[in-house]
Amino acid sequence: MSASDGALVRLENIHKYFGDLHVLKGIDLEIERGTVLVVIGPSGSGKSTLLRTINLLEEPQEGKVIFDGRVITDIRTDLDNVRTEIGIVFQAFNLFPHKSVMDNITLALRKVLKLGEKESRERALEQLEHVGMGHKADAYPSQLSGGQQQRVAIARALAMRPKLMLFDEVTSALDPELVKEVLDAIRLLADEGMTMVVVTHEMGFAREVGSRLLFMDDGKIVEDGDPREIFAGPRDERTRSFLSHVL
Amino acid sequence: MTARVEAVRSWYRDQSTISLAAGAAGALAVATVVVGGPLLFVVNGLVPHERLLDTARGRAMTTLLGTGIVVGAAAIAVGFGTYKRMVTKAARETAISGGALGIQAVLLAALFLFFRAGEKFPLLVRQNFSFDVLGEFGREFVTGARNTVILAGGGEFFGIVLGLFLAMLILSSRAVVRAPARTYINFFRGTPLIWQLSFIFAAVVLTARLPVSVFQVGILVLGLNAGAYSAEIFRAGIQSIERGQIEAARSLGMSYLKAMRYVILPQAFRRVIPPLTNEFIILIKDTSLIFVLGLTERQRELFGIGRDAYSETFNATPYLGSVLGYLAITLPMIWVVTRLERRLQSGLTGVIGR
Repeated sequence: MSASDGALVRLENIHKYFGDLHVLKGIDLEIERGTVLVVIGPSGSGKSTLLRTINLLEEPQEGKVIFDGRVITDIRTDLDNVRTEIGIVFQAFNLFPHKSVMDNITLALRKVLKLGEKESRERALEQLEHVGMGHKADAYPSQLSGGQQQRVAIARALAMRPKLMLFDEVTSALDPELVKEVLDAIRLLADEGMTMVVVTHEMGFAREVGSRLLFMDDGKIVEDGDPREIFAGPRDERTRSFLSHVL
Repeated sequence: MTARVEAVRSWYRDQSTISLAAGAAGALAVATVVVGGPLLFVVNGLVPHERLLDTARGRAMTTLLGTGIVVGAAAIAVGFGTYKRMVTKAARETAISGGALGIQAVLLAALFLFFRAGEKFPLLVRQNFSFDVLGEFGREFVTGARNTVILAGGGEFFGIVLGLFLAMLILSSRAVVRAPARTYINFFRGTPLIWQLSFIFAAVVLTARLPVSVFQVGILVLGLNAGAYSAEIFRAGIQSIERGQIEAARSLGMSYLKAMRYVILPQAFRRVIPPLTNEFIILIKDTSLIFVLGLTERQRELFGIGRDAYSETFNATPYLGSVLGYLAITLPMIWVVTRLERRLQSGLTGVIGR
């Protein structure tokens, strides 16, 4: 199967339960290359779980996840290898506190991609410059602001040169004045044509940067379409109600 | 340095005459008893033990302790009587400290006077403080200390390696992997070390006839025992690392083992230093139990030396030598580990709670 045509990500009939709680109720989704897919919805609607299913941080009890032609829910697939192609940025940053900014980024380059010391450092520095954090390469995460930590986390994910980036409510833990610097970094990435899935509460950002928008509620995709159209005239009553509450 | 001088100055500015008097009286009372008493023994001579007895029951000691009690009582009265009326926090704290020191001085002096008056006090002094007896065994205590360090160090090293391995097993998601490790840990935590030593010695040396020395069996069993405790310490340390850390590591394509090695364990190690030190200190003292194995003269550890010297001399002072030996090992170790901990933590300041 040729990896370069067709959707980059395909989810087929995904069901996810946490105990008795049915979190994802039969999700079908295709994400084309170059898409900036923004996912919004009320808390508990399953949007973060959906995002984390794409790199199998959450294993669905039912359904298939296909990434770049590989069925990654098949246990015979080398998941570690696939994950090197999917970057993820978390709400809580999750930088490694015992390592410097530089080592946070080079660790996986050296130990997973097996790059040399020099090449790893060059790649790391290049990505740090990209998010405006080149001057903090020797700092430790605890010495950085939340916004700076999150930009380092973005650089760490990008240094792997992923085909897909996942952003899981990456500005939710930030002080309001630090949100913009992180959103700017993501916007830059969108402009460069990176395929991304962005779970967010930033409606302005969703409308402006997203090329496609999902509205989720109660474990299902309720609305799927062009962000501007949905914001202008939501078809579903739940979308309308949600948007009237957050806008 | 100037910052410290400035701190003392500002402390002094906030004081009142009464708070200073209470504080000074308390400090003087404690110094009289805690420094003056021992000093009196040293000045009059520590050997033979009759001299200690004379000093303890002498008039100089009575005067010293009496002074401590009177001054201490004054500090209590002034400190606790006036602290509520102090204007500044610093003055109040000084008054309370004076009172607290006064209590310590009075209690210690009274306790000593009480024991001193006892009918068997001369026996106590002769049996436990005949330092001339101790002197005869000086070289043996050095050997004993060395053996204690080897036993505890060897046991702890083996225990940490085993403990880490066991921790990995009990953290497995598979019950069939967890079960044997769990059984091992509970068995070694649930049975007395002294029994483990005798039983494994009998099993390994006497039954299996393996060519190992008693000393080596000692290290082995101490390690087997320490491994069980360390495993629980490591498990708790690993589980205390936030879930996001392993998620981030795995998302970067690291295998479970790589994530453990490069991300989780380095952080967990820092967190388990205090409980691991605690465990090591207990192990140092537990080495005393290997006397049940019947060691040769050169294999004896600190407690064994004291014990044998006691049965040789019928005087218990050698046990005091053992105790001093243990403290000579444990106190510097506690100091070093505290330093190490502070240094390792420096890269992590501010992480918790962020």
